[in-house]
Amino acid sequence: MMTLLDNVGMLCIFMGLPFFLTGTVGLLRFPDIYTRLHALTKADNVGLGLITLGLSLQADNLFIVAKLILIWILVLIASSASCHLVARSAIQKNIHPWVK
Amino acid sequence: MSYLHTSCAFIILCAIAAGMIRILQGPTAADRMMAAQLFGTCGVAILLLLAKGLDTIVLLDIAMVFALFAALASITFVRRAWHEQTGASR
Amino acid sequence: MEQLLNGLRSFIVQKNIHLSIHGHAYLGRSVLLRFLLFSAVWFVLTGSDTASWIIGLPAVFLAIGISHVISPYPSAPLSFIGVCSFLPFFIRQSALSGIDVMRRALCRQLAVNPGLVSYTTFLPEGSARIFFVNTISLLPGTLSADLQEDRVTVHTIDKNLAIWANMQNLELRIAILWRVKLHKREAL
Repeated sequence: MMTLLDNVGMLCIFMGLPFFLTGTVGLLRFPDIYTRLHALTKADNVGLGLITLGLSLQADNLFIVAKLILIWILVLIASSASCHLVARSAIQKNIHPWVK
Repeated sequence: MSYLHTSCAFIILCAIAAGMIRILQGPTAADRMMAAQLFGTCGVAILLLLAKGLDTIVLLDIAMVFALFAALASITFVRRAWHEQTGASR
Repeated sequence: MEQLLNGLRSFIVQKNIHLSIHGHAYLGRSVLLRFLLFSAVWFVLTGSDTASWIIGLPAVFLAIGISHVISPYPSAPLSFIGVCSFLPFFIRQSALSGIDVMRRALCRQLAVNPGLVSYTTFLPEGSARIFFVNTISLLPGTLSADLQEDRVTVHTIDKNLAIWANMQNLELRIAILWRVKLHKREAL
C-alpha cells in the first residue's frame, strides 16, 4: 500500500539519482584533481542527502530515521575531511591546478 | 521486496561502474583514490536502498561501517601511500 | 589595515583567555553535553535494547575521555539561534552546490574556470576554524585546499564567482554559531 508519504519519498530518491550519475560524469570529464574533487564531494553528498530524505519519509519508525541521518552526517564529515586532505597533499606535492 | 528501490540501487551501481574508468586512467594515484571515494558514498547509498528494498534493517549498520571505512581509507591513503611515492608514478 | 588586523587578533586572543578563566563552569557543561551526545549516538546505534548499555555506558565514558584528550578546551555550547539559522542556510547552499556541479559537468563545453584563492580567516583556532574549513568544501564552487594557521587556500571551480563575499558570509554565520565575535569586519 503506497501512501502519500511513500510517494513523496520515492520522488526524493529519484531526484537523488541524477546527482550520483553527474558526480561520476564530473569525475570522468573534469580536467584535474581539484575540479574532480568538486564533482565528487558535492554531487554525491546532495545525492545521498536526497536518498536519506526519501528513505526517512518512507521509514517505519523514528529509529530508522535517526540512523539514516546519522549515516548521512557521518558521510558528510568523512567526505569533506578526506576531500580537504587529498587537495592539501596535492598542493604540497606541487600539483598545479588546471587553468583555462 | 520493492523493485523500485532495488532498481534505483542498480542505477547507482552503474555510476560506480562508470567511475572505474577513472581508476584505469589515473593519471595520479589520487585520481584512483577518488574513484574509491566515489565507491564509498555510492556504496552507502546502495546499501541504504537495499535495506529498504529487501527489508533487511541490518544493512543500515553495514552502511555505517562502510562510511567509516571510506573515511579511514582516504586518510590512510593520504598519510601513508601517497607521501611515500616519488616522481614517476605520482 | 595592519593595525586593525592586529587589534582584531588580540581581541580574539583575549576572548580565548577569558574562556579559559571561566573554564570550570564550561567544563562541567561540556562533559554533560558530550555525555548526552554520545548516549544519543549509542541509543541510535543499538535501538531500544536495554542490555546493550552494559557495554554502552563504559563506551560513552571512554568517548568522553578521548574527546577531551583530543579537544581539551571546553567550548561554549553552540548558540541555538545560530543552529536554527545555519541549518537551512547549509542545506540550501549544499543543494545549490550539487546543482552547480551537475550543470558544469553536463555542459557540452566544460564550464569550468578554476583557480586558487587565498583567504585569511578571523575565526579563532580550534573547532570553529576546522568547521569553517570543512564547510567550505560543501558550498557551491569552493573547496578548501590548504590551511596554514589562519590562511585558507581555497580552490574555486569558477573564478567569476563571488568567492570573497561567500566566504565572509559563511565566516560570519559560523561566528554566530560558535559565539565568537568578529568585530569591525566592515571597516577593513
